[in-house]
Amino acid sequence: MTDLNLPELEIDPPRRSLLRNLSVVWLVPVLAVVVSLGIAWKNFSDRGTLVTITFSTAAGVIPGETTLKFREVVIGTVENVQFTPDLQKVIISARIQKDVAETLPSDSQFWVVRPNVSANGVTGLSTVLSGVYIEGAWLPVSGSVVHSFTGLEAEPILRPGRKGMRITLRSKSGSLLPAGGPILFHGVEVGKLDVPRITDTGDSVLVDAFINAPNDKYITTATRFWDTSGFSVKLGPSGVALDVSSLGSLLRGGIAFDTTFTGGEPIKDTTVFNLFDDEDAARQSIFTQIGDDAVPLAVIFTGSVNGLAAGAQVEYHGFRIGQVTGINAFIERTSGNGRVVKLRTEIEIDPQALGLQASTGKSEVLAFLRDAVSNGLRARLVTTSIFSPALKIELAELPDEPKAEMIIGADSVPVLPSVVSDLPDLNATADGMLKRINGLPIEELMQQAISLMASIEAVAGSDDTRAAPGALVKLLDDTRGLINKDDTQAIPTELRGAIVDLRKVVEDLQKRGASEKLVTLLENANKVSANLDQASQSFPQLIKDLQELAAKAKGLKAEELIDSTTKLIQDANAVIGTDGMKSLPADLSGALVQIQAALKELREGGAVDNVNAALASAKDAADSVAQAADGLPKLTAELDALVGKANALVAAYGAKSNFNDQTLQLLRDLQAAAKAATQLARTIERNPNSLLIGR
Amino acid sequence: MAHSGGSQTPPLTARAAGLVACPTCGRVHQAQTVHCLRCGQVLASRDGTSMQRVWAWLVAGFMAYIPANLYPMLETTTLGKTQSNTLLGGVIELVLHHSYGVAAIVFFASIVIPIGKFVAISYLALQVQRPDRNSVHLKHRMLEVVEFIGRWSMIDVFVVALLSSLVQLGSVVSVQPGIAAISFALSVVFTMLSAMSFDSRLIWDTDTKDSETA
Repeated sequence: MTDLNLPELEIDPPRRSLLRNLSVVWLVPVLAVVVSLGIAWKNFSDRGTLVTITFSTAAGVIPGETTLKFREVVIGTVENVQFTPDLQKVIISARIQKDVAETLPSDSQFWVVRPNVSANGVTGLSTVLSGVYIEGAWLPVSGSVVHSFTGLEAEPILRPGRKGMRITLRSKSGSLLPAGGPILFHGVEVGKLDVPRITDTGDSVLVDAFINAPNDKYITTATRFWDTSGFSVKLGPSGVALDVSSLGSLLRGGIAFDTTFTGGEPIKDTTVFNLFDDEDAARQSIFTQIGDDAVPLAVIFTGSVNGLAAGAQVEYHGFRIGQVTGINAFIERTSGNGRVVKLRTEIEIDPQALGLQASTGKSEVLAFLRDAVSNGLRARLVTTSIFSPALKIELAELPDEPKAEMIIGADSVPVLPSVVSDLPDLNATADGMLKRINGLPIEELMQQAISLMASIEAVAGSDDTRAAPGALVKLLDDTRGLINKDDTQAIPTELRGAIVDLRKVVEDLQKRGASEKLVTLLENANKVSANLDQASQSFPQLIKDLQELAAKAKGLKAEELIDSTTKLIQDANAVIGTDGMKSLPADLSGALVQIQAALKELREGGAVDNVNAALASAKDAADSVAQAADGLPKLTAELDALVGKANALVAAYGAKSNFNDQTLQLLRDLQAAAKAATQLARTIERNPNSLLIGR
Repeated sequence: MAHSGGSQTPPLTARAAGLVACPTCGRVHQAQTVHCLRCGQVLASRDGTSMQRVWAWLVAGFMAYIPANLYPMLETTTLGKTQSNTLLGGVIELVLHHSYGVAAIVFFASIVIPIGKFVAISYLALQVQRPDRNSVHLKHRMLEVVEFIGRWSMIDVFVVALLSSLVQLGSVVSVQPGIAAISFALSVVFTMLSAMSFDSRLIWDTDTKDSETA
């Protein structure tokens, strides 16, 4: 029935083409496809380069989370952590930005940054909360295609890309060469030490060191390095000398350097320097290594060279200019068809030590020596000291010797003419000297001293002296005046002069022929007796002074000075020996470990409600720090008292000696360190969350 | 079948009666009328482009659903540590934390319902072209349910929007929406449009044909 209407339906417009019939809505999925493909393509093209880094452990590295940083800027993320096939190492695959990856040279350094607390300070504290990250350091190159690297176990001390100079130091022991230890130049830290390593031969320790850029210009061939860690106390003729460079280097070790003579040349590349035990050794070592430009010479001695060894000094007027490099024998045919065994000593001479320029050519040095030889320069053997059989070679100008020439050949080593060495009989010399020492009026001197003491005692015991307690201050002044008095001070000097003269006599006896000896000996004997006379002339004056002093000495508590000195040392010992002081580092590190553990917990918990618990843990940790530092105020007080006593002692002692300065400095350092530790502990106690927020 | 059991004669349709209703104001016109006399709307007895639009929106929705599953939905930063979760990853994490109820809600809202919608709409669209013997009433009910339930898929998007606007505690905890949140919202919108584009009269027609052939 409705079929009748069907034709009317065809009034509708004619059927549109398929294209026109298409709905606009189709644009939506098409757009979605385009956008998706665009995003996918962008993602793919922006995808970083995959690099692999091999580590021995992957502690704290989480795939997808741990980042790679270069100069503290994130450059990539760890994608995967897996083992090497033999399970010996861990391979970390990380995707890093394309443009950065193209600058990676094959010696790029990567290491995992973790929190680290050491004598050199606290590092990586930020990783406590955020987790570890991998830091890289390299000198950017362009167009690199290297994609696999070996990671370092710890942060490299000497990072590539820093300006400065890399040198190598050689030492007998590495115990005082801590990795990261400071290198000081005039007390200022200018570089760092790397990790020490044993040489292939196993006989010494090598350590790389890096001197930062502006200061590396002070390193020349004339530079000597020495160990400054620890402290040294020397008892010498000038009194007690205490040497402490700084409290810092006392704790963490370190080395210092200085230029020991002028005329050093800039070093070219990695040079090996010897490390000396102390500054004196370094300064005296100027010629332990003869430079490359040393001139080799030979000396032929006819007599015995027993006592001469390789390394023995070659001296000129008592100044070291070279060393013996070897001794060998050779057979020389004499004119009578016989054969004579001769000893040929090889030496080398440093032209710089002769005052010649470092750039002086070998031929010029030889020409200089040839002229000197024609003017009477000869080599001879001398003993190094009257008590030692060791020999050294001395170059002496002996114009009276028969003429000789130094032949300079093209291929052979020039031979320096020698003279017959007049080596004195050691026993005879020693005997003679002892006799002379026996002859000195020591007994008499002793007798005088004893009687002086007796009179002092007598005076001190008399009633008169008891009546002077009020004059203590004046007495101290007088004491000081007396000590400073020229006469008093002159006595040791005179005595020393006399001994020096004696030594000179003995030396002269050694050196010269018998005829010359006598005159000099007489002269020196005169001088000695004159000196002794002069010295003893001073005695009446001294005795008078002393008596005067003794007259007022009743109230002077001479023992007090000694007592306070002893007490000071005891106090110092007590302070250093107290359990609090000893356990302080351990306690502190324990507390830090606790803090670390607390923070780790905090981090692992990851949720907000753990924060309170973590803060409580941090509080506990801080309490531990405070507990550990509890002894600090006491220690500070003790140190204060100690410094006070030391000051008093110095006032009493008068003269400002090196010992006083250094001791006081050390004590003040200790005092300041203890105060700082107390302060830190208090701050942490008050604001435990300062650890978290970093303030 | 249920229908054929329910009534003896097939119901008279407007099309069979030579009438056409305005889809906007509902006024009934003669079948040949091109524009609605009341509101001016173009009249068509059956929407010829309906299926095209259904498929187009469905495809777009499905394409948006792929990144919604691959990319992170939420980026949670807790004490400097960033953690990002995809839809399914979030569900698995909730299960691991023994929050089974929340896990079930999220799973239904973001996995079961969207996929169910894709399946349902595809099925309805396909059977318009190739009718099967399932009840027309059932199919109608299915379309209604799909249209009704579509908006509830937005629950995920709301959760993300709420979290990222409320949980901003500086460096302690902060929540950022991921790309997947936008993708998911688009997917839901597209599938809703797809369901709305479906001209239900086309289902009706299959019944007519069905009954005619039967």
